[in-house]
Amino acid sequence: MSKILIVDDEPHIRMLLEQTLEELEDEGVEIFTAENGEEALSAIQEEQPNLVFLDVMMPKMNGFDVCHTVKRELQLSQIYIIMLTAKGQEFDRVRGEEVGADIYMTKPFDPDEILDKAYEILNIPH
Amino acid sequence: MAPISFKKFVTKGDFAQFLQTLSGSLQCVPEITDAEGDVLRVGSSDLELMQGVEPLPIIISDRLWGYVRAPEPYGAIFAHLTVYYLQREQDRRILAAEALDKYREITFLYAFAGKIASCLGIREVCQLVITEAHKLIPSTNAMVMLYQEAQHHLEVIACVGQTADAPPTFSPSQGIEGHVFLTGRAEIVNDLHADPRCDPRYPSSDYAVICAPLKTQDRVMGVIRLGTSEHIYYTAAELKLFTALTAQASAAIENALLHEHKIQEERIKSNLERYLSPQVAQAVISSTGQVSLTTSKRRLTMLFSDIRNFSGHCEQLAAEEVVTYLNEYFTHMVSVIFSHKGTVNKFVGDMIVAMFGAPATLPQHEQRAIAAAIDMQRCLVNIPVPWIRQHFLTGIGISTGEVVVGNIGSPQHMDYTAIGDEVNIAARLQGLAKGGQILVSRSVYDAARAHYTFRPYGDIVVKGRKNPVEIYEVLYTEKP
Repeated sequence: MSKILIVDDEPHIRMLLEQTLEELEDEGVEIFTAENGEEALSAIQEEQPNLVFLDVMMPKMNGFDVCHTVKRELQLSQIYIIMLTAKGQEFDRVRGEEVGADIYMTKPFDPDEILDKAYEILNIPH
Repeated sequence: MAPISFKKFVTKGDFAQFLQTLSGSLQCVPEITDAEGDVLRVGSSDLELMQGVEPLPIIISDRLWGYVRAPEPYGAIFAHLTVYYLQREQDRRILAAEALDKYREITFLYAFAGKIASCLGIREVCQLVITEAHKLIPSTNAMVMLYQEAQHHLEVIACVGQTADAPPTFSPSQGIEGHVFLTGRAEIVNDLHADPRCDPRYPSSDYAVICAPLKTQDRVMGVIRLGTSEHIYYTAAELKLFTALTAQASAAIENALLHEHKIQEERIKSNLERYLSPQVAQAVISSTGQVSLTTSKRRLTMLFSDIRNFSGHCEQLAAEEVVTYLNEYFTHMVSVIFSHKGTVNKFVGDMIVAMFGAPATLPQHEQRAIAAAIDMQRCLVNIPVPWIRQHFLTGIGISTGEVVVGNIGSPQHMDYTAIGDEVNIAARLQGLAKGGQILVSRSVYDAARAHYTFRPYGDIVVKGRKNPVEIYEVLYTEKP
C-alpha cells in the first residue's frame, strides 16, 4: 500500500494538500501529515512513505536538511521528494540538487497538477 | 468531495485513537457496527457485561451511519461522542472542499494574470480571456464582444464552444448583452427565455447566461458572455469570480487597444514626419491646435528653392553620386525648414517646395519663411561636404497670399499641396533669383519689412494679373 507524507508548518497548506490528494485514499493510499522537519523525519523513518511533499521554509529543521538526511544520510533514495517553495522566493536549484530533491513545485500550487503528479509517481492509473 | 467512510472513521485516524484511549480509561470497549450490522470494531469480550445491551443508532440528518453498543452508562456516552466527532469530520470536509475551491480560483487568477500579461494583440487577449473563462465556469459557449463606435454595434471578437448560431454582432441597446453594456453591471440570467429582454434575434439554446461588462474607469468597452444549454443555475459566487476575471481582462484589453492605437499613431506619424516638422506632425495626430487637412482657402507663405545650374554640375558625376549629394543637401535643407515650423510640400528634381502656415496655422509665417530662407543659404555654405559647398548655389523665391490648400489628387494618389497665384509667383521669383539670392513678393515685404532689410528688385508680369508684381531682395550676411 502506498503512503504519502505532507510536510508543511502552515496548517492551511496541509489541509489543502490533504484535500487535493483525498481521492487517492479510495485507491488505498494512506496520507499522513507532519508540521515540522523533525516530525517529518521521524514519520519518514517510521512509515517509509513513497512520496513526500516537503515545504522548504520551516522552523526547527528546514526542508533542505530533511531531504539531505533522508536521501544522503539514511540512503532512502526510493522515497520521492517534492520540494514546495513559495512563489517569488527563488528556489535554490543547486541546493535542491545537492540534497537530492527529486523535483520542486511552487506555491500557490495548482491542485490538478499536484494530483496528476501523485498519480504518476505512485504509478496508479488515472 | 469524497464521502466519509464510517469504517475508516472508527478504525483509523484521530477518532479511532481517541476511542482506544477512552476505552482504556473507562475499562469499557464499545462494539461498533455499520448500518448493515457488520462489526467494524469488536467490543468487550465480557459477554456477561454485554448481555441485553441494545445497540444505539448513530444518526445525523436522518442518515443512519451505524450502531454503538456498550453497557450503560457508557453506551450513551460513546454514541454521543461518535455523533459529535462524525459531525465535526463532516464539517471539516465541507470547509476543506470549499477552501480548496477558493484556492483553485486564486491559483487560476494568479496564472491568468501571468498569461495575460504576455499578450499584446487585442484578438489574442480576447481569445485568452474567453478560453480561460470557459474553463473556469461551466458553460457551453462563451463570447467576448467589443463596442465599435463607428458601426454602433457590439462585435464578437473571440468565442469558444457552440457559437455557430450566434450573430457576428449584437445590439448595444437590446438584449441581455446590450443591457449589461448600457448599465455597466454584471448579471446572471437563469432561465433566459423567461426574461423579456432576451434578444429575439438570437434566441439561442442557452438556458442560463452570465454576462459582465469590460470596463475602464470612464467607459464600457464591451461585454463578456458565458452561456449554457444545460439546466444549471449560475450562482452569485460564480458571478463574483467572473467579475474578478473580467476586471483583469478589462485592464489587458484596454492596454491592447492603447497599444494598437499607439502603433497606428506611430505609423501615421512616421509618414507625416517626412513632410511635416515633428511638432506639426504631432499637432496633426493629436488634432490639437488648428490643423486641417481638408481643402480650404487660407493665407500662407510659399517658399521655392532651387540649385543654380544643377544639371551642369552633375554632368561630371555618376548618377549614384548625384543622388548621394542631393540627399545630403535635402536632409540639411528640410531640417532647416522644419526648425522654422515649415512644411515640406514636395521635391521636384533638385527643387524644394515648402509652405509656412499649413496644415497648422502659424503666426508670422512671412517672417518665418524669410528666416528659413536665410538659414538655408547660410547652412548651404557650411555644409560638411566640400563638393556640395563648392558646386551648389541656390536661388530662393517667397510669396505670400491666399491659396487653396489641402489633399489634392485622385483617390489613389493624394498630395497635400497648395495651388493658386501666389504659388506661381513664388516659383517665378525662385527662377529669377541668382545663386545665394532670396527674392520675395511685395506681400511678403509688407509683412516683414520691420524685421529684415530689403532692397527693391523691379517688377515682373504674372499671367492673369493686371498689375505687375513688385519684387524685393532680402539682404543678409552669410555669417549670422
